[in-house]
Amino acid sequence: MKRGILFSGVSVLLFFTAFPFAWMTATAFKRSHEIFTTPPTLLPESLTLENVARLFEQTRFAVYLGNSVLVATCTVLLTLAIATPAAYALTRFRFRGREAISAAVLFTYMFAPIMVIIPFYVLMRTLELTNTRAGLVLAYTAFCLPFALWLLRTFFQSIPLDLEEAALVDGASRPRAVLYVVLPLALPGVVATGTFTFILAWNDYIFARVLLAADELKTLPVGIADLYNASVVDWGMIMSAGMLVLLPVLAVFVFIQKYLVAGWGSGGIKG
Amino acid sequence: MTAARTGWLLVLPALLLLAALTVYPVAYGIWISFFSKHSFFPEQQFVGLGNYAAVLADEEFWRSLELGLIYSLTTIALQLVIGVAAALLLNEAFPGRGLARAVSIFPYVVPTVVAVIIWKWLLNSQFGLVNYLLGIPVSWMGRDWIMVSLIIVSVWQFFPFVLLAVLARLQTIPPELYEAATVDGAGAWRRFVHVTLPQLQSVLFVVVLLRSIWMFTKFDTPWLMIQGGGAETYIRTLPIYTYQRTFAYYEAGRGSAMAVIMFLMLVAAAALYFHFWRREEQL
Repeated sequence: MKRGILFSGVSVLLFFTAFPFAWMTATAFKRSHEIFTTPPTLLPESLTLENVARLFEQTRFAVYLGNSVLVATCTVLLTLAIATPAAYALTRFRFRGREAISAAVLFTYMFAPIMVIIPFYVLMRTLELTNTRAGLVLAYTAFCLPFALWLLRTFFQSIPLDLEEAALVDGASRPRAVLYVVLPLALPGVVATGTFTFILAWNDYIFARVLLAADELKTLPVGIADLYNASVVDWGMIMSAGMLVLLPVLAVFVFIQKYLVAGWGSGGIKG
Repeated sequence: MTAARTGWLLVLPALLLLAALTVYPVAYGIWISFFSKHSFFPEQQFVGLGNYAAVLADEEFWRSLELGLIYSLTTIALQLVIGVAAALLLNEAFPGRGLARAVSIFPYVVPTVVAVIIWKWLLNSQFGLVNYLLGIPVSWMGRDWIMVSLIIVSVWQFFPFVLLAVLARLQTIPPELYEAATVDGAGAWRRFVHVTLPQLQSVLFVVVLLRSIWMFTKFDTPWLMIQGGGAETYIRTLPIYTYQRTFAYYEAGRGSAMAVIMFLMLVAAAALYFHFWRREEQL
């Protein structure tokens, strides 16, 4: 009886979460006429790549893809470069205002983009950073930073002080102690934080929508939204676009899902 | 170099960036809410509380507030029910549990644009699978159903957040509590009410707070639902209307005033929430 409830509950849950993805993937591989047949076919009669081919030949999907990769990668590198030393300092040095900084970081973390996007846009316009990928990277870095700091701080806190103190006593300089003792231990945390940052930058719509106007600068979420709006919807092509955008997310998700299930970092995507 | 100075030096770049790109824009946003200001041109004129008066006198504003409240309250309630139920299921031991957990949380990491196009295809009035299975042509993007469609997509996308937080907490409840309750003769339902729920109280407090903030200010899901022919005015929530005032009507001052009002309402709601929570705890 109890097994029965469990089994049916989990089945309903998995159907609800997974079926939409299955349907998207099936549509992406169907030929145009099959997409609109009644009754609909669950699996494609014959697999075709014509939708993907159309996506790359008739739209600027490849350009959007390049932009997304570039912007997300730069955001990850810049965020980690700024957040890692700061998080280390917040856990290792006593200085005035340390606790206040941590509290302020948590507070900014709760801001939603819509509450800052207007003045942010005006500011970027004044700095002549609208319509540039650099401006977008800065926006994402600012948006990811509070959470990155928070995650890295908990990671550094979990590394025992004794280890680096021993290294310092043995005559190592602090940079050497950090490089050879602390960083190797903190590496999983740094990689996980980088992954959350990547997903946030890869998925964002609103900043890219507001800050970019030129078609050749658009990232994937904005590019796909505009493809959808452009004319009569080419469902096979749109579904193949959705599928391709998800591939990198799926790849990094495999790595972070164990952190998520352990209750760690689920606020990272912030949505 | 002293430790304190090294500490400050390492924190400085992060602080500067946050000050320049978060704190300053927030303060600047409050500032321009007192000006009549075009979104693209630098000219601005001080109007005092004029923007606020205009917003409060605007029927569309109240309508968007109402729609926003309907949207956020419904989606939060559904996310909580589905998220907690899913967490209870996925906390049981069964073969393939790890994979089931991963699949269940995946919608949360998907770009919103993908979530929206998938559901627009499923709910397509002519060729959609849902209408085929229902056997009747429901106009899911039409005026009567678009709010329902938006709620379905949002719950699908965001319930995993509740699932994750609750599941993490469930894993830390000591099994002895359940054993003791079972020995005392409590059935599954009473174990849930008297053991599980009290243990979940603190995590649900935080989850409701965060979800409320994020659903009330949710922009991209409703915005993308409108695109490509949706019944726009029927899901024009407060964040959507704020965005349109700024980037379609080019009224940055008035848009900012709406953002400030949105923020103040959140602060007030959060204060009330904390207040009642404390009182509950004292009882």
